[in-house]
Amino acid sequence: MDEKQHTFISKASLASPYFPTWCPGCGNFGVWTAFKNALTELQLPEEDVVIVYGVGCSGNMADFNRVYGFHALHGRAIANAVAIKMSNHRLKVIVVAGDGDTYGEGLNHFISACRGNHDITILVHDNQVYGLTTGQAAPTTEHGQKTKSTPTGAPEQAINPLGLGLTADATFLARGFSGDIRHLTQLIKAAIQHEGLSLVDMFQPCFTFNHHNTYAYFKERIYDLEKEGHNPTDKFSAWKKTHELNRLPIGIFYQEEGRVPMHKNFPQLDKGPLVNQSIAQINLSPILSKLS
Amino acid sequence: MSQVQLDSLHWKVAGRAGEGIDVTGAIFGKLCLRHGMNVFSYREYPSLIRGGHNTHQVHASFSPVTCQQAHIDLLIALDEKSVSLHLEELDENSVVFCEAAQDGFDYKKYESSGATFYDFPMTNLSREETGHFMAENMVALGATAFVLGLDIEILKRVISDQFLDKGEHIVVGNHKAMNRGFNYAEEHFKKIRQPFAKKENTQVLVTGNQAVALGAISAGVQFFSGYPMTPTSDVMHFLAAQQQNFPLVVKHVEDEVAAINEAIGASYTGVRAMTASATGGYALMVEGTSLAGVMETPLVICVGQRPGPATGLPTWTCQSDLQFIIRAGHGEIPRVVLTPGNAQEHFDLTRYAFYLAEKYQVVAFVLSDKFALESYMCMTKPKEIYQNERYSFAPETLPEDNTYRRFEVTEEGYSPRSIPGQAHGLSVTNSYEHDEFGFATESAELTKIMNEKRERKMKGIAQEIPQPELFGATKTDVTFVSWGSTRVVLEEVVRQVKSRGEAFSANLIHIPCAWPFPKETFFKLAANSNHLVMVEANITGQMEDLIKQETGLHVHHHIRRYDGRPFYASDIIEETRKFLEQKK
Repeated sequence: MDEKQHTFISKASLASPYFPTWCPGCGNFGVWTAFKNALTELQLPEEDVVIVYGVGCSGNMADFNRVYGFHALHGRAIANAVAIKMSNHRLKVIVVAGDGDTYGEGLNHFISACRGNHDITILVHDNQVYGLTTGQAAPTTEHGQKTKSTPTGAPEQAINPLGLGLTADATFLARGFSGDIRHLTQLIKAAIQHEGLSLVDMFQPCFTFNHHNTYAYFKERIYDLEKEGHNPTDKFSAWKKTHELNRLPIGIFYQEEGRVPMHKNFPQLDKGPLVNQSIAQINLSPILSKLS
Repeated sequence: MSQVQLDSLHWKVAGRAGEGIDVTGAIFGKLCLRHGMNVFSYREYPSLIRGGHNTHQVHASFSPVTCQQAHIDLLIALDEKSVSLHLEELDENSVVFCEAAQDGFDYKKYESSGATFYDFPMTNLSREETGHFMAENMVALGATAFVLGLDIEILKRVISDQFLDKGEHIVVGNHKAMNRGFNYAEEHFKKIRQPFAKKENTQVLVTGNQAVALGAISAGVQFFSGYPMTPTSDVMHFLAAQQQNFPLVVKHVEDEVAAINEAIGASYTGVRAMTASATGGYALMVEGTSLAGVMETPLVICVGQRPGPATGLPTWTCQSDLQFIIRAGHGEIPRVVLTPGNAQEHFDLTRYAFYLAEKYQVVAFVLSDKFALESYMCMTKPKEIYQNERYSFAPETLPEDNTYRRFEVTEEGYSPRSIPGQAHGLSVTNSYEHDEFGFATESAELTKIMNEKRERKMKGIAQEIPQPELFGATKTDVTFVSWGSTRVVLEEVVRQVKSRGEAFSANLIHIPCAWPFPKETFFKLAANSNHLVMVEANITGQMEDLIKQETGLHVHHHIRRYDGRPFYASDIIEETRKFLEQKK
């Protein structure tokens, strides 16, 4: 560690001048609390964390946290985040985005980030509906559910986020519930501490636009994988768990330790973070002889 | 032979894709360069990996050379099409190496072109020397050296350097094939010119893409993200191959949307970042351009024009995206659009783009086209060492009371930038309109203030952009106007008009920066001209309109081309003669 005095993240350090604009009862509040708990408990220096936010209700959290924040375009947060990590791998880089953002508009970036095992954490607020645009079908909306954009019922099958992550070789896949803040806090901490790509898909009821996936709905169906003895290193068992729809597992589905994260594929980064490598003097001579 | 032709070499190799056309051309180009000549090589190929008709055409001379011409002294034709498609470029001074017997055609039917044909068993000689046909182009190069009076020892070294990475046995085989070609030519062909004098070479031979990549490296580019698309893929290839020699990460990403968003993410951390694409690929980056603009994150984008709409003509050239690039991005953002013509400008302006982008925290475009990006051009050998200052960062130590404001409203429009990892620099970098700390706002007053703050950057930028230049005499009958790659052809036009004693005189104004438009300098240079002729490769006259919009000046005449092919000096001179005649 360097000599400078760090200010570590605390509830006070995270306080911004703005209070959330989410609807009363929104699942975002639970996620926000668990997230702040996790950041505080991890004792991270406040300047060494970057949070990249998507656009949606969840992304509006950008104004409610005092951190190095990057409020991206809809769908693109992961693309910004992976490059932030490659350019300064000393930083903890966390994406806060919604299900439409991550599994719809930005699906290509999600799959690529999993394949590349970029050392970032993706926290997806999965409310199975589009909230900020007032109630259209999301990629995670259940088949047949009526929404503003699907008045006769959503025609597609709902996407399986953790299953997608598994087939794209992500190394940490978990699901949490905004109604269980203590459990979610531990999941987020484990995800941030995992070296490699970590996804926490978070069920969070949308009071205003989704009257199907409510707190009661989740309370009836959710169970803790750990309590039922799930082995998170067993990929095939994890695969089966991602397909359980009647009972809904939460916890770590799959974790693989030791896979090389993206930034360690670049030997030029062995000397330290790119941003710390000087460009004050560039010597072109290794190239010039080849051009004449 | 006319005097001009004597002074220059026009050489072309043509054949099917996959026959090593390009490497053959590159070797011949370097051979001329190492004799101390100026070189320009133009490459044509269809969007196929094998089987299409490919050409690599080299114009070399001790006099200035800036583009190819529609004339060939020596044609190496690796199939019949390579003769039949280029008959118009041949005359009684031309020599053609072909393999008529082997390729099953009678070259006599092409002799009306006046050219001398040699049925030259290149593949058989290659087989005899190396056991396979692949060294036919080395046989052809050996014979070329004899016929054109070039130094075989220099050729030998160029071949060694070219194939060093592929192993010693490849180099040895290629040398044997080259010698066999030279000896065969000595025995069977006539020299068409006396041995060349040699001069010390002080130049490098690079494509526009390579010059862009070199300029970027010299400026300390640290992060490049891209997705392959002709004509800019070679920027990525070049940087990727060099990344371990420099503090540089090159990432081939999932799509162009990721390419620009990754570059912006990297730049946000404080590294110098860049992306590149064809205009079609850039179309996918438009939203990201707007993002970089509002986030005030520096970014350099190299855009290579090729004919659209849509997939268009993937491997051909045009200048049809000027108005698109100067306006691309929703909302209004400040930007710079540099328009380099020759290799030197591609190097210098890319390097300069990093300075402007970082200082003003804007997007700086290097807008070029297939013709310039994929042609080989000479430029002065770059220096070995380049120094880079950094601009517009916040002081290392920021107030401990956290009062630092990332988007502080300043007179110059840009604000000192903190970077993640820096204590007390916390802020939101926001795609939403925001206050001075970066928090989102919908305030009418703040929205107005922030738009004005960002737009004020254009004032400073306008003071620092490269200015239009005048080439040739100050007072002439005709003044051509170029932007981007048309510069290289129009320089040749101006030289030929003078050296060939045309009935009219001509000079050239070149525009190296389209946005902000360098109004005053252009007006000053153009106001003196008798007859302004805008030459550009698009159908709607995009620079012509921009000149009108920015200066109120109307050009008198325009020459436009929009068939994917580059301009030729001879066509422009011919057309100029015609309209001057009509004017009388």
